[in-house]
Amino acid sequence: MWNPKKSVQLSLICTKIVILMVVACAAALPSLIDRYAEYALVPVETSSMYMFMVILYLCCIPAMAALVCLHMLLGNIKNEKVFTAANVKLLRIISWCCFAASLVLAFAVRYYLVFGMMSVAIAFVGLILRVVKNVIEQAVVIKAENDYTI
Amino acid sequence: MAIIVNLDVMMAKRKISAGDLAEKIGITPANLSILKNNKAKAIRFSTLEEICRVLECQPGDVLEYADGR
Repeated sequence: MWNPKKSVQLSLICTKIVILMVVACAAALPSLIDRYAEYALVPVETSSMYMFMVILYLCCIPAMAALVCLHMLLGNIKNEKVFTAANVKLLRIISWCCFAASLVLAFAVRYYLVFGMMSVAIAFVGLILRVVKNVIEQAVVIKAENDYTI
Repeated sequence: MAIIVNLDVMMAKRKISAGDLAEKIGITPANLSILKNNKAKAIRFSTLEEICRVLECQPGDVLEYADGR
């Protein structure tokens, strides 16, 4: 039977897969960009390809940080430590990682227009996470109140 | 906290140990310790009722209001 524990386990596996994908993409980024330049409809300058690579590598940093935090968060949930200050901190870090990636992509709009849409989408995810963090923060206070009601 | 729990005093008067009191009230010794050490944020009426019944006292005997403490 499907249960919350299995759901957390599945999320953990998915997170690990995404971490591996980010590492693999970062390792293969130069060749992927070469491929992109090869098949691009409009001829791409070498300097803008270089910037393209730098931007994507810059995005890998917050992405990896967010994924590691997500992995730690899921580990805590698995250990039945849900409403804790540590989880609030992790959610805050993930939210800021989203905003950082969004900012990097916002600066990269001049190289690739799609980055603008991605920037808005990631900022929106960051905002949602921030609200979730605020909810969990209040839940931590309520839980403490409840724990100390005898 | 302006409300102080004087459970120690009543327990000494009634010569009852923390373990016995926790068992008779129906709470865990850990929770009784939280109550005794003034770490509790709130107390349920049901718990207070049990404390008063077991210690044969009034709520005012175990709870005290101290201004500015």
